[in-house]
Amino acid sequence: MTKVDQFESLFRSAAKQPYRHRRPRIARVLVVTDLEGDEARGFLATVRAMLAVLEPDAASPERPTWTLVEGHEFATERALLDLVEAHRPDLCVTYRHLHSEGWRWHFSLGEHLDVLVNATTTPVLVLPHPRAGAAAGHAMQDTNRVLVVTDHLTGDDLLVGWGAALTLTGGTLVLGHVEDARTFARYLEAISKIPSIDTENARERLAERLLKEPRDYIESCVEGLRAARPDLRVLPEVRFGRMLADYERRVAELEVDLVVFPARDEDQVAMHGLSYPLAVDLRQVPLLLL
Amino acid sequence: MSSAALLGQAAHAAHEVPAATTWLFTGLLVALVVCLALEEKLHAKKSLIVACFAILALLLGTALHLLPFGPYRIGGHDVDLPVYVPAIDWGVITIILGSSLFIDVTSRSGLFTWIAVRLTKASGGDPRRLLWCYGLMTVLFSAVLNNVTAMILVGSLTGVSLDRLGRKDHLLGFLLVEGLLTNVGGLLTLISSVPNIIVGTAAGISFLDFFVKAAPFVVAATWGTILVGARTFDVRPLAGDAERQEALAMVAAFDETDGIESPGFFRLSTALLAAFILVIATTSVLPWVSDLGMGFVAMLFGTVALLRFKHEVDRFYQGVDWDLLAFFAGLFAFIHVLEQARVLAMIGHGIEAVIGLGETAGGAALLLSSAGFSSVTDNIPLSAMLARILAGIPAAGGGVRGPDDPMWWSVVFGANLGGNLTPIGSASTLVAVTLIHRYRIPLGFGAFIRKALPFAGFQLALAVVYVLLFL
Repeated sequence: MTKVDQFESLFRSAAKQPYRHRRPRIARVLVVTDLEGDEARGFLATVRAMLAVLEPDAASPERPTWTLVEGHEFATERALLDLVEAHRPDLCVTYRHLHSEGWRWHFSLGEHLDVLVNATTTPVLVLPHPRAGAAAGHAMQDTNRVLVVTDHLTGDDLLVGWGAALTLTGGTLVLGHVEDARTFARYLEAISKIPSIDTENARERLAERLLKEPRDYIESCVEGLRAARPDLRVLPEVRFGRMLADYERRVAELEVDLVVFPARDEDQVAMHGLSYPLAVDLRQVPLLLL
Repeated sequence: MSSAALLGQAAHAAHEVPAATTWLFTGLLVALVVCLALEEKLHAKKSLIVACFAILALLLGTALHLLPFGPYRIGGHDVDLPVYVPAIDWGVITIILGSSLFIDVTSRSGLFTWIAVRLTKASGGDPRRLLWCYGLMTVLFSAVLNNVTAMILVGSLTGVSLDRLGRKDHLLGFLLVEGLLTNVGGLLTLISSVPNIIVGTAAGISFLDFFVKAAPFVVAATWGTILVGARTFDVRPLAGDAERQEALAMVAAFDETDGIESPGFFRLSTALLAAFILVIATTSVLPWVSDLGMGFVAMLFGTVALLRFKHEVDRFYQGVDWDLLAFFAGLFAFIHVLEQARVLAMIGHGIEAVIGLGETAGGAALLLSSAGFSSVTDNIPLSAMLARILAGIPAAGGGVRGPDDPMWWSVVFGANLGGNLTPIGSASTLVAVTLIHRYRIPLGFGAFIRKALPFAGFQLALAVVYVLLFL
């Protein structure tokens, strides 16, 4: 019955995962800072300028409500969660190491952000710390160039939808998918020790298949976004590589204004896959954690 | 000159065989049939089973001085050939070998998956329309491909698409109907199934004649089977617009071009397939080709198709069903010994009695008894034996039984449709049951018979009426 497998494989391959565009509703934005007074209001103004894409237009006439949370309004993680619960925002904007000096070191996101990302389902936009001076020159101006990154792009309509929603009119949306080269090499090494599997054939076909699916999906995203966001330029970035190093390099090369990636994982309490190291390492540009 | 004619030349003039010898070989035949029926339990491929019996029969036949050893006269020259070589019907072997190679190569072009996905999309994802599309596709593919490949192709697509549509509850109904339709589609042309090839070749029925006579029955049986299937398994059309839109979007996500690696080869394969059907349909009237026969046409197209993969043809040779071909070779040799031992003549007397019931009752009895035997044992030895026996029984007027004789059709219809009575009746229904089990749907031997009986009963009743009234 090996032919059943062969034909099933053919038909499974023919059954594509199409992109269905759904613009996320962003009616309430909560900006959380540990700053006070003018400093806090200045931060809010910077955020609103950077997210000019959220201003009403023909496609989305709704003006979002902006709420500023200043440092004195919360001290503990519980208090922060209560604030989020009370406002029920569609998007939470903040930065790492709230109420902490931890921003001086590059080893974590800080307790408040850790809890916020893991205990809520609200998308969190993490900006470079206002005092750290780590922001890239092009960052925090606008969202003209947005990079969506994941190790499994196919079928993630939510991720692409958010990426598109936050890309400025006429901007560029880069859809990235990096297959981990080291994992692939490890599997191939195991395959090379199995006599019944042709190693060269496996290398060729597996690599081809792993990259084909995200490519097909990106094609379908281009098609889906053509109707919803004809102004966008959608670029694919599908390759083998070392995820963290490759994305850091591409963020710098492309002068990316915003990086979007999945953070929550249904199967674990900790953040999804490489999201945490990516969030810790990429300190120079805004990150949207979904 | 046919193999049978060659053997006829060398046959013993006065062929007296003691009754005990005939009964001995009859016992061997019964043992072979039982072993083939228990193939799964014996864990042995049928080619090996039949080869063992053929070797035993040849040894016994030689020891008992039954076999007409050569030399054989070919083109005015005496040629020495082992007795089992002219016993094999090489016309049948070349048709199967050539068309297997041809279909294997053309299927690599993505042509059949393209058709399958296009039909899935044409259904709009509506379960009722999908059943019609898949039913028709099963019949079409069974007519062009062998029944087993057709069932695997349509069955695996059914699994994937019903899963995608969230309609896995319909899997049993779809797979069962498709399994039952493979044997209906297998009736459409002379090369659609092995019994057709064996009986059609023995009777001298041309491809076109076969198609013209079988097609009306296939259309009616397909229509009835799908209709009964939709009712029995409660396959209803989608009710609302929202459901229809959702289903449409799901099937629209299938990409029919995904399996096409080379558009040029895809177009070439389509053209070659059309040419193959055209040439094989007109073989009997084409100059030169008519002398060379359908086996030549199949081998010609198989070879032409292989040119596309000229540096890796061995890959396709490996894909040939050598078990089936070796099974044929052994079977033909075995049947030849049975013929010399007068076993076929003895069974022929029984069949003569059945035929003697008259054109109506005799034809119906032959069809139903063929179906009965075919439901519990392989229909290939059955049709090979019946074809040989029928060829030896004079027609009603006393002359040679011509291609228009309805008795040939009784054997063809009975041998094909009998496979639908039990899960072991044909290889394609066995594949359908295997697929059903693969999707973890419980269906035992008895349950299959209970579910399939209304369909098989309808098809056999229709076949009896059709053969008696129209052929």
